[in-house]
Amino acid sequence: MSSFDLTEDQQDCLQELINVAMGQASDQLARYLDTFVYLKVPSIEQVKSEHLFETLNQDLKATAVVSQGFFGYEGIRGEALLMYQPQDSHRLADLLGYEADELTFDEQIIDLSSILTTTFLNVFASQIDNQMSYSAPRLLSANQGTISEHLNQQSFNWDLALKVRISYQVTDYSFNCDMVLLIPEEAINNIKAVIDRILEDF
Amino acid sequence: MSTNVLICDDSNLARKQVLRSLPESLSNNVQLAKNGEEALEILRSQSMDVLFLDLTMPVIDGLGVLQAMQDENISLPVFVISADIQPEMQSRVLELGAKAFLRKPVQQTTLNENLQLHGLL
Repeated sequence: MSSFDLTEDQQDCLQELINVAMGQASDQLARYLDTFVYLKVPSIEQVKSEHLFETLNQDLKATAVVSQGFFGYEGIRGEALLMYQPQDSHRLADLLGYEADELTFDEQIIDLSSILTTTFLNVFASQIDNQMSYSAPRLLSANQGTISEHLNQQSFNWDLALKVRISYQVTDYSFNCDMVLLIPEEAINNIKAVIDRILEDF
Repeated sequence: MSTNVLICDDSNLARKQVLRSLPESLSNNVQLAKNGEEALEILRSQSMDVLFLDLTMPVIDGLGVLQAMQDENISLPVFVISADIQPEMQSRVLELGAKAFLRKPVQQTTLNENLQLHGLL
């Protein structure tokens, strides 16, 4: 049994913590794009480190991957990857008002990703009595070699990837992106302990 | 006479959070639904006095429940409790007849204040 096998109650609790965090991230997205965002139930999948590239094979065809590190108390830290599919990046470009300036699009997609990541993680952290700091977000070239290299440069050995599939529908547009949180074992155990404390209250 | 309460949320934890936040006078006869479809089945077959409703749910979401209630003339006070806090969403649920919008995770004080405001306490 791996350290992050969750019971049904633990999974439900984690899902609810993520739903609340996603709700506030979507509100920020709506404000950023000045539109209404239709929010679907996010799906959550746990991926062992050795299976990440296999699982994310489809995602690695993404046009844009934005990576941002996060650091909290009690060993909670990791790396958040936001991955956008090629067909969705065109819709995003429209939404963001992209015309012919790639640099502007890069900057805007980094901003958008950082808003989603930091809002999501701030709200998630506040629910588990923690607080996050962040490294600067980086836009990565979306190919397996670049992402592998980037992940190998991390200062920690991550043991589990929490893949949160986020689907947004924005009035006349819709796009999907995957948020992948890479988390080391110490952080996993800490999150699990917090979930158990929450469940004990009920 | 006890008040018939229905709590509809796909999360077991969220249902328990609402249940635990309810005043004693509303805690004696509570039914739980895991999605909008289950909630509508209960509302069509039984007389309920108040509904606490999540929005982002599988099968039928909270907006779908509010719309169906309007279409089928099912009338009872509805308190929406949701993580989807966009101002436009809050306006939509109020337009569809909800009494109030409360953000998740629900706070006991806020819930009780709203129940009082709408004459349920």
